[in-house]
Amino acid sequence: MTAQASTSVSKSRSASIASPRLTAEGDAIIHVENLVKVYDPDIRAVDGISFEVRRGEIFGFLGPNGAGKTTTIKVITTLIKKTSGTAIVDGIDVDKDPAGIRKIIGYAAQEVGIDDELTGRENLRLQCALYHLPKEERDGRISEMLKAIDLEEAADRRAGTYSGGMRKRLDLAMALIPHPKVLFLDEPTTGLDPQNRAAVWDYLRGLNEQGMTIFLTTQYMEEADRLADRLCIIDHGHIMAEGTPASLKGSIGADVVTLSFKENGTPNPNAAAKAALARIHGIREIQEVDGGIAIYAQDAPALIQQIVLALNDAHLDIAELTLTHPTLDDVFMKYTGRKMRTEEVTPQRRTPWGARRRRPM
Amino acid sequence: MSAGDFAGEVGSIAGRWIKKTLRRPPFLFFSLVQPVVWFVLFTAAFASIANINGFKESTGTSSYLVFFSGAVIIQTVLASAMQSGVGFVTDMESGFLDKLKVAPIRRSSILLGKLLSDGARILLQTAVILILAFALGVGIATGLLGLVLLFAIALGFGIAWSGISTFIALTTRNSESTLMISLLTTFPLLFLSTAVMPKPLLQDNVRAIAVYNPITYIADGLHGLIITPGLDWPVVGFAFLIIGAVGFVTLSATTTMFRRAVST
Repeated sequence: MTAQASTSVSKSRSASIASPRLTAEGDAIIHVENLVKVYDPDIRAVDGISFEVRRGEIFGFLGPNGAGKTTTIKVITTLIKKTSGTAIVDGIDVDKDPAGIRKIIGYAAQEVGIDDELTGRENLRLQCALYHLPKEERDGRISEMLKAIDLEEAADRRAGTYSGGMRKRLDLAMALIPHPKVLFLDEPTTGLDPQNRAAVWDYLRGLNEQGMTIFLTTQYMEEADRLADRLCIIDHGHIMAEGTPASLKGSIGADVVTLSFKENGTPNPNAAAKAALARIHGIREIQEVDGGIAIYAQDAPALIQQIVLALNDAHLDIAELTLTHPTLDDVFMKYTGRKMRTEEVTPQRRTPWGARRRRPM
Repeated sequence: MSAGDFAGEVGSIAGRWIKKTLRRPPFLFFSLVQPVVWFVLFTAAFASIANINGFKESTGTSSYLVFFSGAVIIQTVLASAMQSGVGFVTDMESGFLDKLKVAPIRRSSILLGKLLSDGARILLQTAVILILAFALGVGIATGLLGLVLLFAIALGFGIAWSGISTFIALTTRNSESTLMISLLTTFPLLFLSTAVMPKPLLQDNVRAIAVYNPITYIADGLHGLIITPGLDWPVVGFAFLIIGAVGFVTLSATTTMFRRAVST
């Protein structure tokens, strides 16, 4: 207790010494207000979102494919123009000085943007040149990065021969070459196996401990939960909830029982179930979600028997029943009414003849 | 940003493309094998064209091989330039263009670096053909200055035509379309010109078209440099004029499409 107290005292003291500006602690390095991006003809990919990322934190954007995560990141990293709203990075407005923002950020896209015909080392060397690193620093920086991402052995092989995990790591190293103030990662671990994923998490945590602000998007609950200091849940271009993983889970404040029903001739089983369960004491809320219902209750295990009996009386056949302590999955479900689908969607690489690719440029 | 930075960016981007090109088997095929095939096949099949009345009078040589050397340069440069755009499509699809766009570089260095590398590739290919032609006994009648001018024409013509395929690539954003349009245009342009057949020997209707085909004037320039001793400045000058005009149009169009592709 005493030790803890003294640490916190010394910490706040050192913070006030190190940062003379009052706002320096916990101030926003990214400020986004009312951001809207409409693609032709009328797709509102991002529909009026506002959030702030604080200096030195890992900030997560959690949502399914098509939620607007990539669009948001592309606006902030100056890759696409917004329709309206404000986006400011480290005091620089994306409209006024996009070149200024490019100097202080690193960005790794969801699709790995490395050159397969060059070796890993050549990719990094090109990146050094594009970011105008002093010539005498380049070789050192490249070796440092190759070591950090464990690619020393493969460094002089063409990137086209790399495994998915190696490519993703090389891409991350590319983004880190310029020592960015803010690192933007669009789904940094999508497509990686659990081992590689854990390695990337560790590495990112290390970077963050050295003071780098990281903005990442993910469709993995676990990633958001483990990595992000704060996160936004985003769906259909809207921010549905915002907070630390703990506070978001805490906002549910209850266990969750999810149920789905077999087709047995009962019309509208969800509504029938809601009616049947209404009498049970201790249920805080029942929500219809896709595929079934979600029941929120303080002590759900004690209610399971009553729930099953009540549903039986109502002639409903249970197809699936799960009981969980709150997870970010439940948070997502609570705020969007949908389960989060994490299945991979193959990006469309080919288009019919002459057709313009839909991908935002 | 200093001028040195800019030169560094353009150089790095050009260097990337040159490295990529040299590592690609099709490039080696097109630049080495294809000219050989052209030389061997065409000069074997059409050697007797040189015996036709009026060939020597209109071309200045009695060897079809010597006349045909210019056509091989044009064909190779044309085919090579028509593929220039494909690289941009690949970069758009792979996400590498985004990597370049998010880097603190001038956007124009992306296009300039690419064109520079296209130029370097075309010079290399032209050199290969000339070495081959020398080995087969073809000389450059206009000497060293003629040789320099010949490289200059190949380079200018190549970059002007690279502009066409780059424009198509940036417009369609599709590599198949870019390649198909290129293939469809290369051969008609070549055969409806004076590249493979001297003007007086062309069919009347073909000659009527050839007069409007810019390739004709490039071909006349190259033929003149290879065959006729003493520089025929009006012919060479006209070739450069055509290159300038075509280049202005194609590179303006390319720049416009490029700006659109990288605008933020």
